[in-house]
Amino acid sequence: MIRSILSLLLRALVVVSGASIVTFILLWNAPGDPALAIAMARYHQVVSADVLDQVRNEVGLDAGFWSAFKAWIGPLLAGDFGKSTVTDREVWPELVTAMSYTFPLAMLALVCGMCVALPLAILATKHPGSVLDRAAIGMASLGAAIPPYWLGLLLILLFAVYLDWLPAMGALSTTHMVLPALTLGLGVTASLTRIIRSGILDAREQAFLPAFRRRCVLSRNIGRDHIAPHATIPVITVFGLELAFLLEGLVMVEVIFGRPGLGSFLVNAIEARDFPKVQAVVLLTALVFVVINLIIDVIYQVIDPRIGEHDA
Amino acid sequence: MRSVIALSCVFFLLAVFGPMLAPHDPTAINIPNRLNAPSAEWLLGTDALGRDILSRLLYGARRSLGLAFLVSVIGLCIGTLAGLVAAQGGTAADWMIMRITDTFLAFPELVATVVIAGLLGAGTESLTFALSVTSWMRYTRVARGIGLAQKSRGYVVQAKLAGLSPLAIARWHYLPALVPSLTVVWTGMFARAILGISALGFLGLGVQPPMPEWGTMLLDARIHMRSTPLQMIWPGLAVVTSVLAINLCGDALRDALAKQNGHNLRSAQR
Repeated sequence: MIRSILSLLLRALVVVSGASIVTFILLWNAPGDPALAIAMARYHQVVSADVLDQVRNEVGLDAGFWSAFKAWIGPLLAGDFGKSTVTDREVWPELVTAMSYTFPLAMLALVCGMCVALPLAILATKHPGSVLDRAAIGMASLGAAIPPYWLGLLLILLFAVYLDWLPAMGALSTTHMVLPALTLGLGVTASLTRIIRSGILDAREQAFLPAFRRRCVLSRNIGRDHIAPHATIPVITVFGLELAFLLEGLVMVEVIFGRPGLGSFLVNAIEARDFPKVQAVVLLTALVFVVINLIIDVIYQVIDPRIGEHDA
Repeated sequence: MRSVIALSCVFFLLAVFGPMLAPHDPTAINIPNRLNAPSAEWLLGTDALGRDILSRLLYGARRSLGLAFLVSVIGLCIGTLAGLVAAQGGTAADWMIMRITDTFLAFPELVATVVIAGLLGAGTESLTFALSVTSWMRYTRVARGIGLAQKSRGYVVQAKLAGLSPLAIARWHYLPALVPSLTVVWTGMFARAILGISALGFLGLGVQPPMPEWGTMLLDARIHMRSTPLQMIWPGLAVVTSVLAINLCGDALRDALAKQNGHNLRSAQR
């Protein structure tokens, strides 16, 4: 097991370095003159060629790909994300501020989603095909099809415009978090319900269950000791995907609700062509993603050693 | 079930023939009639520039659905090819391709798409590129998984011994085995592409005005949410129903496949 965990670690390392190279290549090859964009953002006027050259030199754009890559990756390995090319401020503190808005929201949505999805799925699978079961499936399908930005707009329309119960824009108080969390939470609930439901149904078809029943093991004990562990595996798998979904939803939801989180940070940085900021966000999300998936893979090895034998 | 397939067909027909049905020019600006409520002349009302919303939706169907189709097919081709090479090539090729796939999978799709489309500059080409580049990985995993399973089958081994080229083996033995599972993955990715295109449109990075597209229409409608909320409902509803129809088709397909053989289902879900 130690060996397979080590090989998983190696894979994660390869993926992270690959991701950083891809990120850098992407920004390096972005069309348009970044120096011009930076100069425009800094001085708010059309600038002469001399100034452009100066900016280019300052930011390190004239040095060529590999030296620029080295200049970027060196401090990064020491945890230094560099300075914004537009405002000349350190990227990391701003990133931390942005995350302090994003993280609680993501957690709230995830916890709410889990709290609704788990009981709903368990109740729905009590009688497969019942009205409740159909309703759960319907909600899950609908939740997967509704884009978060539209849902967010509808919620704003209902709760902020018509009912005037909740604030729509900004992030001043905790009440500002309700609508974004609801928007994200509904999507999370939908996909979790779907997965938990099919996980439970799959686990129920395991061949050993009738044997237990014939031995008069209480159905409650079968559920707890045999169905639940089997249903957990797909749920853990999806948790990784769920995180991606959450991150994607966050970008849109933060833009709609005007929250100064990671999503708005990214969109603003792209518009300003502030490369260090974009790189930082992209690399950070990739890193979080890889680490979560690594943890999931390791958990797999612990829960079910059969998994991973055939996986490259 | 039939209703779902019928609905998907309706969307397909709308994407193809929609523009012919449009009662007005979708880009004709008519300021005196701006922000009209639905009426006999403007069935779904008009937008902030007085353009007919129904016509814009119909023209937009071609952009939203057509581009999503294009993107998902590009992803399918790249992904399947990479997956087959991984399955047929040696251990080194397999390792390389799968690590590249993992690397691309490490970026959350929408984040990567927004960054790529944003940096390339808003427009249809950069949108197509951004969405294709981020959507081939799932096909690769599925294609490789099934390809590896096929490798040890008797008829594939025999074909190899008989001197069939790898290309021919891929064409005659791997591809037919791949079609069902890949179709299921494809429906999912098609639906995701619709969502992705409208998301980019909503961020202002997608199809550029004056060309109508559902996400861009939502973006325009958002400002007038208080005065004409209905304007915001229509494009969203179009996205939701089309994605729902495609997803449900995919589900039905998967269930049918699961009945046929329980094995492929697992690989399709991964």
